Amino acid sequence: MKKTLIVIALIIVVLVIYSWTSYNGLVTLNEAATAQWQQVEAQYQRRVDLIPNLVESVKGAMKQEQTVFTALADARTRYSGAATVSEKAAAAGQVESALGRLLAVVENYPTLKSSDTVQNLMTQLESTENRVSVQRQRYNDAVRTYEVAIKRFPRSVIASIFGFTDINYFEAAPGAENAPQVQF
Amino acid sequence: MKKAVTTLLLLLPIVAFAYSSPGKPAGYVNDFANIIDAGTKSSIEGKLQALDRASGIQVSVVTVKSLGGDTIENYAVQLFQEWGIGRAKRDTGVLLLVAPNEREVKIEVGYGLEGDLTDIQSGIIIRNIIIPAFKESNYSKGISDATDAIIAIVTKSPEAANYQNSQSSGGSSDTNYAPFIFVIFIVLNFLSIVLGKSKSWWLGGVIGAVIGLVIALIWGFLFVGLTWIAILTIAGLIFDFIVSKHPPSGGRGMWFGGMGGRGSGGFGGFGGGMSGGGGASGRW
Repeated sequence: MKKTLIVIALIIVVLVIYSWTSYNGLVTLNEAATAQWQQVEAQYQRRVDLIPNLVESVKGAMKQEQTVFTALADARTRYSGAATVSEKAAAAGQVESALGRLLAVVENYPTLKSSDTVQNLMTQLESTENRVSVQRQRYNDAVRTYEVAIKRFPRSVIASIFGFTDINYFEAAPGAENAPQVQF
Repeated sequence: MKKAVTTLLLLLPIVAFAYSSPGKPAGYVNDFANIIDAGTKSSIEGKLQALDRASGIQVSVVTVKSLGGDTIENYAVQLFQEWGIGRAKRDTGVLLLVAPNEREVKIEVGYGLEGDLTDIQSGIIIRNIIIPAFKESNYSKGISDATDAIIAIVTKSPEAANYQNSQSSGGSSDTNYAPFIFVIFIVLNFLSIVLGKSKSWWLGGVIGAVIGLVIALIWGFLFVGLTWIAILTIAGLIFDFIVSKHPPSGGRGMWFGGMGGRGSGGFGGFGGGMSGGGGASGRW
């Protein structure tokens, strides 16, 4: 009788420790993924902030390309107004494609392309694109670690008890995988 | 299931950039593609070693035979992360990566130096120094001049000044484990006295198990926790066994000897810095 009590007590202790450690571990992973998304948004913001400078320095020479500038301005406004994560991701995709069009058009203006100001702005934009893709990749890595943790048995049981839900991967919008090409 | 499959498909473009490591770093300059002449190589190596010692900033020059189909941007980020160029936490590293066969070059800047070696400056170094020399196939000159330009910029960084201050005031923030080691030292000495007096050697195992349990609860996962419990239990047993057999002589119980100093001179490996795609790239 006494032995069974000890065994039951031991099992309970192990279960409690298991739940405790699993819960803490899942919280850590969840936070890591959320924090990584903030990194992605920081780079989105950086890109949006760079656009006016580029537009200012090329607008004068590109008067007949108004549609490109309008599209870019619209996308920027939409990004600034986006509230939720999915709205932001969608608006960022729009900024990306509008920017891609502008960069492609700049290619047709050799004098613009060789100007130091434009070259420097292009370098900055190119690096920012690169930063965006690095942080997105790290975000997906963080989400993957978290998703594996909440889906593998037996931790999946703990995850569902404490209500750990799926985090969405970043999924590239159709066509967005063609990052703007900049050639000098 | 269907969702899982689509997720996998969407991740494929990322996985498809197959990064394969060029190997372990043998110094600050790693000329895997054999395009730098020996004299230039040792002169750059010397400058970069001096820079690291004076400022804690680690610049690495790497040439690779092939990017293996990867983009140079992705390759640079992955290599930077694998080697951990720059000091940990402060991320004071720079990677100059040259892929002569793809005719591509990338300056990857660690987070801690992004404000000093900006994207624009990296771009200017590539356009004005590297590419003109590379176009004449003068790799040694291009790399050497570019390294000089990078060194000139990063030595003006506040990170360099911070490092010098922390060095002169005795111990920098990221390498100062002295108080920590001191505490462990005291605790171990205390334990060696207590456990040495008791002739049994199971008590050490119990203490080890308890510490392991505490670590498990703080740390998170059961798996890691159990490993800690197991390791510390065994370590405790061995520790108790040793000190019970050879109790510390005298009342002070100085069971442990002095700690070795840090190695000096030569290349001691990189420090664990991180980067996030900053810098610039170019083609020639």
